[in-house]
Amino acid sequence: MPDLFALEFVRSALLVTIIMGLLLAYLGTHVVGRGIVFVDLALGQISMLGVAVAAYLALEPTTVSMVFTLVGALLMSFIKVTDKRLKQEAIIGILYAVSSALTVLLISKAAHGDSDIQEVLFGSLFTVTDSEITSMAIVFGILGVVHFIFRRQFFELTEKFGNREIDDLGSFNLWNFLFYISIGLAIVLAVNVGGVIPVFSFLVVPPVSAILITRSKIALIPLTLSLSALGGFLGIYFSVQFDFPAGSSVVAMLGVVFVLASIVRLVRGKAEPTGSS
Amino acid sequence: MIRRGLTGCIILTLFLLVPSRAAAQDKLRIVTTLPDLAYLADEIGGDLVETFSIATGYQNPHFVDPKPSYILKLTRADMFITIGLDLELGWVPALLNSARNSRIQPGGEGYVDASIDVPLLEVPTRVSREEGDIHIFGNPHYWLDPDRVQIVARNITKALNRLLPANKSQFDENLEHFSTRLDSLYVEWKERMEPYRGAHIVAYHNQWPYFEEAFGLDIADFLEPKPGIPPTPSQLALIIRHMQQDNLKVLIIAPYYKQDAANLVVSRVNGVVVPLASSVGAYDGIDTVFDLFDYNVELMVNAFESATE
Repeated sequence: MPDLFALEFVRSALLVTIIMGLLLAYLGTHVVGRGIVFVDLALGQISMLGVAVAAYLALEPTTVSMVFTLVGALLMSFIKVTDKRLKQEAIIGILYAVSSALTVLLISKAAHGDSDIQEVLFGSLFTVTDSEITSMAIVFGILGVVHFIFRRQFFELTEKFGNREIDDLGSFNLWNFLFYISIGLAIVLAVNVGGVIPVFSFLVVPPVSAILITRSKIALIPLTLSLSALGGFLGIYFSVQFDFPAGSSVVAMLGVVFVLASIVRLVRGKAEPTGSS
Repeated sequence: MIRRGLTGCIILTLFLLVPSRAAAQDKLRIVTTLPDLAYLADEIGGDLVETFSIATGYQNPHFVDPKPSYILKLTRADMFITIGLDLELGWVPALLNSARNSRIQPGGEGYVDASIDVPLLEVPTRVSREEGDIHIFGNPHYWLDPDRVQIVARNITKALNRLLPANKSQFDENLEHFSTRLDSLYVEWKERMEPYRGAHIVAYHNQWPYFEEAFGLDIADFLEPKPGIPPTPSQLALIIRHMQQDNLKVLIIAPYYKQDAANLVVSRVNGVVVPLASSVGAYDGIDTVFDLFDYNVELMVNAFESATE
């Protein structure tokens, strides 16, 4: 239905979904590489906790949730699990569970908290304002440029975390700190518009699907970005065409992208058996 | 060549636009927040209007999840009718903003705030967030009183007369017809409720003060400790004690709330939960404002009868 895409609110939703999806998918390659996919849910949850605290204390929610998320990101950058029996994911999982519980406790004392939670989970892409799009484009643009310029440093670190060769990193590592700050900033802005679950899906589905499809290191990033844009476009299209809420449509279509990628992998896997499981 | 092509394009576009424009003139496109307003607009506008309600009757009108079709309808609407106050504050401004249709923005000729001239209850003297979901303008659930529905119907008629002045006599006649029927039925409803005048009941959410006033009831307590905050265990204990002490048997609740807490409470006091219709369309068969009050009066009478047995 091409005439539907002529409507301003559909274009705005598509634009913000693509901007959000591209940066999140790019950061997602690090997240998946480090094996910390829960980091988004945890940071998203901490940002929600910020909203709940703000509602409870009658403060301005955006600033409070921003502060909460950045402090959470800072704390996570200090998590270095050297004990071979533990994984970083476990600690992040605990942060997720506890901040969810605290949010529920606070929300239960605030009016209509349950539906607020619903909105934070899935966002409302169709009612995004122009100023929200602009601020997201600026911040995401800056983050993208920083990550592009220092991509060598960021990817070296991700490989170290992926291979668990982190004993020689000091207690404070600038790049690790910058990585978590950028994830925190991206998540708090994206969650505001897109909701926790779509943001999580954009971080994880495109890089995982790209890894399933290709073995080439060079093709991985472009493929990740393309799959993210594809999922975002299909999501908005599906939502407009069949009249569904935008956030859950985007997540469902990213799920389709993942299934297609898995099929590609299965078909290929039979053709050229590999050592990895 | 290029210029001729361009002119051709423009002419073609105009031709494409003209018939759709003419078709649009056939009926006035009205979007409302609640089905009650859509019903009234249909009743008064008759064949000249085409209505669409964003919320359904079984949905909590405080919260509506934006779907693309809602914005689409608003983009093309000639008139938008809202209950107003702060009932739909969580979703209407965002939807109107996304629709970018200047006719139906607040202040636009097609924007109708149905609450104009409606006398409000519970207008707060001071506002504190600690009191929960406080309505700063007063309680917005005013469409549950037949007399106030009359005012809403008049507001909608005024707006229709403003947009389609040529059809004023028709709208006025439809209003007159609706108004007379509602008045006479209201008398009947009040007669049926008369034996229970002043009866004390309990409500889940504070959304019935206009219904309470219209039918002479007395809501003694609420399950929600503060408006919008789900009942806590200690609140349930307080309610059970209150209902036992004052021999309260009837608990009214809107269809979109979970009934677990209400069922628990009435099971302890041998009372009844009465799932009143909070809007047109709340249940199958409630298609008109008349159905709505008929249904609710019937349910209340039955509940009081079973409670006194």
